[in-house]
Amino acid sequence: MTTDGTTPGGDQAEAVEAAPIDTLEDTIWAAVNRALTALDVRPERGAWDLIVHVPPADVIRALRKLKHDDELQFNYLRSLTGVDNEADGVDVVYHLYSISKNLNLTVKATLPPDDKVLETATTVWQAANWLERETAEMFGVRFNGHPDPRTLLMPEDMTDVFPLLKSHPFAEIELLQGELLGHERGAGDGE
Amino acid sequence: MVTEPVPEFETQDLLINVGPQHPSTHGVFRMVMEIDGEVVKDVIPHIGYLHRGAEKLCENNDFRQGVGYMDRTEYLAAHNAELSYVMAVEALAELEVPARAQWIRMILCELNRLSSHFMFFGAFGVDVGVFGTPFVYAWRERETLIDLFEEISGDRMMYAYFRAGGLAWEVPPNFKERVREVLKSSRQGVKDFDGLLTENEIFIARTKNVGIISAEDAIEIGMSGPSLRASGVPLDIRKTEPYLFYDQVEFDVPLGENGDVFDRYYVRLQEMEQSMRIIEQCLDRLEDGPIMPERMPRMLRLPEGQEVYIRTEAPRGEYGVYLVSKGGNKPWRLKVRSACLSNLQALKQMSVGQYVADAIIILGSIDIVLSEVDR
Repeated sequence: MTTDGTTPGGDQAEAVEAAPIDTLEDTIWAAVNRALTALDVRPERGAWDLIVHVPPADVIRALRKLKHDDELQFNYLRSLTGVDNEADGVDVVYHLYSISKNLNLTVKATLPPDDKVLETATTVWQAANWLERETAEMFGVRFNGHPDPRTLLMPEDMTDVFPLLKSHPFAEIELLQGELLGHERGAGDGE
Repeated sequence: MVTEPVPEFETQDLLINVGPQHPSTHGVFRMVMEIDGEVVKDVIPHIGYLHRGAEKLCENNDFRQGVGYMDRTEYLAAHNAELSYVMAVEALAELEVPARAQWIRMILCELNRLSSHFMFFGAFGVDVGVFGTPFVYAWRERETLIDLFEEISGDRMMYAYFRAGGLAWEVPPNFKERVREVLKSSRQGVKDFDGLLTENEIFIARTKNVGIISAEDAIEIGMSGPSLRASGVPLDIRKTEPYLFYDQVEFDVPLGENGDVFDRYYVRLQEMEQSMRIIEQCLDRLEDGPIMPERMPRMLRLPEGQEVYIRTEAPRGEYGVYLVSKGGNKPWRLKVRSACLSNLQALKQMSVGQYVADAIIILGSIDIVLSEVDR
């Protein structure tokens, strides 16, 4: 961190230098890689936990393998949510935890913006049920095979509006207030 | 009792609606119960009445402003909610939090656990049918805690006292004495509850072996906090992945045996003893010093392409904050992992096959805060 913390250029340069020697040896990548050996996965170092990028078609297979692997035993789904990256599509993010081994892992699947379909994870953990319903109504992701595909927090008939997408306008009154207060419009604020 | 079925009469299951405006639902929660006589056959929860889009709001406000929205998600344990949020910002900004701020945070979070559990006892006592007495006792104890929070932060519930990097301002000079004073009354309060409810025959008859959930099912559903530990799963994030200085204090993790309503009550009662133990150790270790890092940037900007999932042990379970940064002074995405939302998923499994009156105390025993469920 630089003194004023406002020079992202310096941080980036460090990150680029650090990348080639990042062997992930201190993480659980070796065990995860072994468990997912047949799949095309890519690791990334997160601030706290290891992140694994998995192709959308293989997500459920990967999750099931991670759950039933003897060395990892990811039997607990902490959280499931989406992240809208606009043109780069929507990430569906699974935060897994292994109660017996005390391990954490983040699994990410990137869906293209025009084809946001994924298999349901409710067959792996029941915990995914409401979390997937929320992700579906907030990001417009369709979870195939979900046992109860109703809206969760939104009104029942609100199935064509996805509030957490960046393209969804922030309420106009808030925009107005922001402008009055002199805030610049963020990338996601515009109509 | 009718011993033989009467074929001429056709019976059908009855749908009854509970809530959203109903005292036993602890907020605006609605459930539709399908009942056969007195027995619950199905429960369909309806949530979302309190959805205010806290996550979207946080995306449109900078890192300092997010603290206030966190208070409003988990208003009965706002310190714990703030903690997860500021820890997420600190993790990405790589801020070093001074020791004094950490100890004070720990004390406040544990005090908040006490006030939150007192709230639970009061409301739960009413659910069980002891109207009045436990509620008033609980309120008396909670009031002393809330008075202390008000002296520190200026607000009774929406504290907004934690900051990324430390605390908003110093605690009052008589902080230690006041906390000891409050602890004394809380200790007596816990004792009162123990005497009032734990061995009360009617209370035991109503809560033992009701709403049982096994350890495997609880894990599968993603339950956390006291509701999970009541089923005998020793998952307490303060122990498994210590944050703040939880690895430097001694405390036990109380566990239940059956995973019934009584265990969920009793685990909370024992937890309060442990919280008081933690606070006393914190007070002994608390020393003078700075409460904010020396070189604190005036405007917080996080590095690009970073993300972190922070989990802390809030009174109701795992309160998680998933923060994705793409540079700038606002979160790109902020997700709040609600403990209550995941715990509430177990309601159906716990209630089916129980009596209608028991469904109410089962809901009470999960201890939901609807504003955290809906966010």
